[in-house]
Amino acid sequence: MKILNDFSNIFKRYDLDLEKTGEAKTVSKDAVLQKIAKFVVEGDEEGIRPAVKAALKDKSPLDVINGALVAGMNEVSRLWDEGVYFLPQVILSSDAMNVGIAECEKKMGKAMDRKGKVVTHTAEGDIHDIGQVIVNALLNANGFEVINLGADVPTDKVVAACKEHRPVMVTGTALMTTTMTAFPKIAHQLRQTGLNIPFICGGGAVCEEYVTQYDLGIWGKEVSQAPGMAEDALAGESWESMRSKWNG
Amino acid sequence: MNAKERVMAVINHQKPDRMPCFGANSTVTYEQMEKVGAFWPEGHEKGEVMAKQALAAYTVLGFDAVRIPFCQTFEAVALGCKRKPGKIRDIEGIPGIEHPPPYKIDDTPVFPDDFLSRGFIPELIKAVKFLKKEVGNEVAIIAGIIGPFTIAGSMLDSVPLLKATFKTPEKMRPFLDVGEKAGTALAKALVDAGADIISIEDMTASPELIAPKTYRDYEMEYQRKQCDAISVPTILHICGNVDSIVAWMGQTGAKILSLEPKANAKLAREKCGSDVILMGGVDTANVLFMKDADTVKQGCEESIADGIQILAPGCAVAPGTPTENLLAMVAVAKAH
Repeated sequence: MKILNDFSNIFKRYDLDLEKTGEAKTVSKDAVLQKIAKFVVEGDEEGIRPAVKAALKDKSPLDVINGALVAGMNEVSRLWDEGVYFLPQVILSSDAMNVGIAECEKKMGKAMDRKGKVVTHTAEGDIHDIGQVIVNALLNANGFEVINLGADVPTDKVVAACKEHRPVMVTGTALMTTTMTAFPKIAHQLRQTGLNIPFICGGGAVCEEYVTQYDLGIWGKEVSQAPGMAEDALAGESWESMRSKWNG
Repeated sequence: MNAKERVMAVINHQKPDRMPCFGANSTVTYEQMEKVGAFWPEGHEKGEVMAKQALAAYTVLGFDAVRIPFCQTFEAVALGCKRKPGKIRDIEGIPGIEHPPPYKIDDTPVFPDDFLSRGFIPELIKAVKFLKKEVGNEVAIIAGIIGPFTIAGSMLDSVPLLKATFKTPEKMRPFLDVGEKAGTALAKALVDAGADIISIEDMTASPELIAPKTYRDYEMEYQRKQCDAISVPTILHICGNVDSIVAWMGQTGAKILSLEPKANAKLAREKCGSDVILMGGVDTANVLFMKDADTVKQGCEESIADGIQILAPGCAVAPGTPTENLLAMVAVAKAH
């Protein structure tokens, strides 16, 4: 007879075996910064403001941003990639991070320096902007300035925003096959305007074959690719070379 | 066996003459509209036109069931959400819900007494009556309702609802309650009008949006209540990969689970047992809309090998889908 000497599974619910467990790693040895990072990881919008305010008394805003806010958000990205975190947690963490960044910017007296701008939108007729919400959060966490046009955006508005902001990259999300037809139109208008900006298209209904049919189009398979793509675009890679790197 | 007998045989765990093929979600396309001479936006708004379009699933495609409606706005609009017409540029599409939503998470939502006479619900009921009169004995009539969590998402907007799943989950309950009441009231009216099967679409309850534990601890209870209250067989459709919640979907009382191909049908069978009927087939965007008939057939065969008992598009059919690809599904069903 087998003698039971491991009791850890006795009260384990069999129906929970599909949920992964995992914990956030410590991101800073500095207790004050770690506390702030923890508020980001836990998505605590209320708790983070006083903690950031207190930290700014003897720390520089940039230290708080890079050492706690962005570091915490990177942990959130990791937990999400590993399937430990779910979308609501990413949204809450991103909001908490933004509250913290706003406090730091107040102290700096100016907006934090960003690497470059990215225009994001969800296709006209499509109100499912969830994918875009995560793209925004991840780009934000990676130091890009997100020009968030929101959901159900007419093609003209996307092109106008690109003209105005001159972003390094533009993204479009569509969950419905009926709405993704706006993407080639946007790409065409951007080309005509002489704006050869890499145009990342993704979302439930969007597939590689469709996106690579038109100039500028690069298929975004996973939202987690967004920061890496933005880095490439920032480094000056063309849409053609980005397409061959990320697609096909 | 006629189409309806075939569908009912599978539901009753009897052997059909061949595998049935129909959609849990909308199956109407622009090509079908041309063939039956009934178009949008009238098909979303007028009972008789809606019924005519739905009939194309049987007359044009040879599906074993007809399915209405073609959008997800009926309950939400009747609960106070603003309806956004489907027209984009010059093309008539699928209506949605306009921002801003009528409620915030701290509000108390109201279930109106005159719910069934609001918005376009009377036309939806009329469409079922029309279908019943036209093909009631030959073809199964499937009427769609929206699941509690998705209706709550329309009332609150999805991002505030998603945040509430972690921050203030108990505050979701009044919204889930009204969402459940709305869907159930509509389902009962549609059954009275002649619907044979109720299809519950609950897109926002997908693990791609919420944590599995949110489904288990909140939404499942309301879906179960809904399935219990509906007298005819129910289909539960949740989009995306539902592997992490499929065991609980099987405990809602839904007779049929409608799965997208990215969900694991074998796992669903293992977790839910032999009583639950599985429907599914090929991806509606990447395969049905974009690829050719051969790819569709191959995808269908793979799904059947995984244990699918009713062949179906994985989700709502894109209106631009070629008829040929939908016919390819029927051809596969006829061979099984």
